[in-house]
Amino acid sequence: MLLSAVIFLPLLGAILIALARHILGESGLKWIALIITLLTFAVSLSLYTGFNADTHEMQFKEERTWIEGLGISYHLGIDGISLWLVLLTTFLTPLCVLAAWNSIEKGASGFMISLLMLETAMLGVFCALDLFLFFVFWEVMLIPMYLLIGIWGGRRRIYATIKFVLYTMAGSALMLVGILYLYFQNDNSFDLMTLYGRTLSHQNLLFLAFFIAFAIKVPLFPFHTWLPDAHVEAPTVGSVILAGVLLKMGTYGIVRFCMPLFPEGVAAYTPLIVTLSVIGIIYGALVAMVQPDLKKLVAYSSVSHLGFVVLGLFALNHHGVQGGILQMINHGLSTGALFLLVGMIYERRHTRMIADFGGLSKQMPIFAVFFMIVTLSSIGLPGLNGFVGEFMILLGGFMSDSFSKVYAIIAATSVILAAVYMLWMFQRVMFGKLDNPKNQTLTDLSLREIVVLVPIVVFIVWIGVYPKPFLSRMEKSVDQVLKQSRSTAAVKAATPTIVLDTTTREAKKIDE
Amino acid sequence: MTINWQLLMPELIIILTFIIVAIFDLFNSIQKTFTAWLTIVGCAIALYVSVDMLQTGTEGTEFSNMIQVDKYSLFFNVIFLVSTILVVLISMNYLGRTDRRQGEYYLLILLATLGMMLMASGNELIVVFLGLELMSLSLYVLAGYFQRSMASSEAGMKYLLLGAFASGFFLYGIALIYGGAGTTSIPKIASAITVNATSPLLLSGMFLLVVGFGFKVALVPFHQWAPDVYEGAPTSIAAFISAGPKAAGFAAFLRIFLEALQNIQSEWIVVVTILAALTMTVGNLVAIAQRNIKRMLAYSSIAHAGYVLVGLAAANKDGISSAMFYLLVYCIMNIGAFGAVILARTEDGESLMISDYAGLGFKKPLLALFMTLMLLSLAGFSPTAGFVGKFYIFRSAVESGQIWLVIIGAINTAISAFYYLRVVVAMYMREPEAELDFHPYPGLLIVALTLAAIGVVLIGILPSYFLSPAQISTFL
Repeated sequence: MLLSAVIFLPLLGAILIALARHILGESGLKWIALIITLLTFAVSLSLYTGFNADTHEMQFKEERTWIEGLGISYHLGIDGISLWLVLLTTFLTPLCVLAAWNSIEKGASGFMISLLMLETAMLGVFCALDLFLFFVFWEVMLIPMYLLIGIWGGRRRIYATIKFVLYTMAGSALMLVGILYLYFQNDNSFDLMTLYGRTLSHQNLLFLAFFIAFAIKVPLFPFHTWLPDAHVEAPTVGSVILAGVLLKMGTYGIVRFCMPLFPEGVAAYTPLIVTLSVIGIIYGALVAMVQPDLKKLVAYSSVSHLGFVVLGLFALNHHGVQGGILQMINHGLSTGALFLLVGMIYERRHTRMIADFGGLSKQMPIFAVFFMIVTLSSIGLPGLNGFVGEFMILLGGFMSDSFSKVYAIIAATSVILAAVYMLWMFQRVMFGKLDNPKNQTLTDLSLREIVVLVPIVVFIVWIGVYPKPFLSRMEKSVDQVLKQSRSTAAVKAATPTIVLDTTTREAKKIDE
Repeated sequence: MTINWQLLMPELIIILTFIIVAIFDLFNSIQKTFTAWLTIVGCAIALYVSVDMLQTGTEGTEFSNMIQVDKYSLFFNVIFLVSTILVVLISMNYLGRTDRRQGEYYLLILLATLGMMLMASGNELIVVFLGLELMSLSLYVLAGYFQRSMASSEAGMKYLLLGAFASGFFLYGIALIYGGAGTTSIPKIASAITVNATSPLLLSGMFLLVVGFGFKVALVPFHQWAPDVYEGAPTSIAAFISAGPKAAGFAAFLRIFLEALQNIQSEWIVVVTILAALTMTVGNLVAIAQRNIKRMLAYSSIAHAGYVLVGLAAANKDGISSAMFYLLVYCIMNIGAFGAVILARTEDGESLMISDYAGLGFKKPLLALFMTLMLLSLAGFSPTAGFVGKFYIFRSAVESGQIWLVIIGAINTAISAFYYLRVVVAMYMREPEAELDFHPYPGLLIVALTLAAIGVVLIGILPSYFLSPAQISTFL
């Protein structure tokens, strides 16, 4: 019942707000939203404490028949991979409520209802073990996000929100067909657990059907064009949720479905996917460098970072996959924080153009500290979270026997590019002369804003210094995913590489 | 020969209601809405009886095998009666402003409903034809019900002309099949046709039937009448035409093709598959270009006929039950959407342009909520009924190996989201262009819309209650 409670608490809150919005008043409903999301986080913490790190089995399972005539069940459970994404979601949402406290001008109740429904849908995606249930949550997520961007977004919000919905729906249309096809291979059942045990036919096509849906969501180059639009037009909170959690639904889908279910597809398409992700890494970084708009810059940096995640996943070894999953969390934290920070100065100045700023550090010293830490985390400075993830991914990339080292080498250069675009941006915004008179009256962060940022910074440092609690809990699940995704591919791939190569041997040793 | 009247209870109740309404209509002194209430009560009793017969499994044939009452026909009775009740509910306030007596409006609706029920239970091509004509003739009159409105008269005329053509095709098809099989009884045709018979009489008869049905349920390329008729006809009648009669057309379509003509499946399945793909694609693409919401809903209902046709193209047991389930869902959500259009009425008529809906989300939240819910369901977003319906249809088509058709359907779903969401965009995300004065909410319309909304959400979350009956009610 624990998982159901975590998933549906926000929905309950949304219903509560919808029913009582006239009685509560504007601040009342914000408090309700905050309390509900905090409560959800508190309940989800018991998932962390109760989690058994010694097994790859799904935990906190719930199963009950839902639509009998179609073989659909309400089946939930989490392993060491979904655990972290669930926690990331429940952690970020209350911060989002707090961040949106003063910035919503119209329809605050609608905003909070959308946000809470979105949380329910995202949590559902990470916990569902039935393909139908997964798809339902995957689609439910669309509507509140659509409203968040479309109603509370910027000037070109309608274009951005329609683009977002159509891209996602086009991707999920094929996934739906794939799901239906799997259903008949699984003795008329949508249960993921029984599906894991089967060797499926038409794996390559099925892999594509699922992968395209996830690649759009990630977004992997060349499916990324919806992302900058959506980010720029979305309200701050929308961007945080989008970058922090929604994009992870794509990479999560790859780990949960594409890799373990279709090893043949993985073997067949790894070269293509790795090439695309390396292009995305470099392309995202280069485009980010020339952006005049802060939000667009962060959006393109996301394309680059998520390319990294996908590269790590398709390294198909322990370090790569683990690094990829850790990097999902890292990206959620640091990019989420970046969007929050951009939102904070946007609220004060109503502009996001880098050229409008300069010398802010003199006027806003507290802001400058937070901004610096988060920027460095995003670059991947040792001691902060980004470093651990990127390092593991690159390590995995170098050891990988599924693609050549050249890819990892090219990807590694983007660490430098990241430093260039992030530090350059930081320099132009924070340092230099405070010559714009509008900037001279800026106020520093309020207590509320500090409260929003501190928890994120704590985790940024924690993961950077001591990632073990995070890594140890995903260990077994990662091994399991690897075992499944290499079951047939490994046989094909391993035979030609008997040539004595020290790195591959080492990689194998570490894998074992 | 004794007649088992019990089998025909729902039909008899409708006939009885018809007579009562006709009598009460003669008195000028009674309230105008009284006849409407009588109609609702009559339909509700018939609905109750149908559900009861469905549950107890009362089945049988009557009138020398001309009428076949089985779970299939009873399930369709439920669809028809639910649609009729909803339509009468949304009609009462809508017609309230005209001064004419309304008895004949409800009488014609009752007659059309009776025709639909005959179509679903007809075990004989002639009976199906009679039902079809009973239904169509009533609808022609209803489409032109607003005599003073040019558009309404035009709609009635257009519908009559094209409908008469379709009936002609249909009748000719029956004649040719009679020539090929020597009988017009559905089960007898089935046994008379050997597997893969390629008698030219049969084949041309089959094609003519496809054309006839294609007109009646508005499949591309026989769909041109639909947008004009929907636009011109009274909105409540547009809702009616788009729901029950379409379901009735499919009821007969499914039964004739999957029972009588099952042995020449290989011949018609290609045709039906192509028609389904065309209907979905053209319906959705053209709907994108519409500025008038009634025309948009007309094209959307064309596209939905395409989805149902996918169920027929699947040509298996699940295909039938998924089409049945989908038709139930479709009727509820489509009538709901038209009801929401009626709800958005201003002082100087209805607001029919999508741009008129700008800003309604904050000005008329309840109306916008109903409209959004119905459109999301039509677009097939989970967790609404429309999603489950589409999912089940696609599932049965995958089961029979029609993967390509399902891919086309799934892509169409994404396309359709664009124009459905455009209305939502207008309501919530745009500022109103002109100040429009809206009528206060009429009570009964709200009742009808609430019922439809509950139906859409409930079937979406707990579909089993409606899905299981559909699964056990097929004739195969």
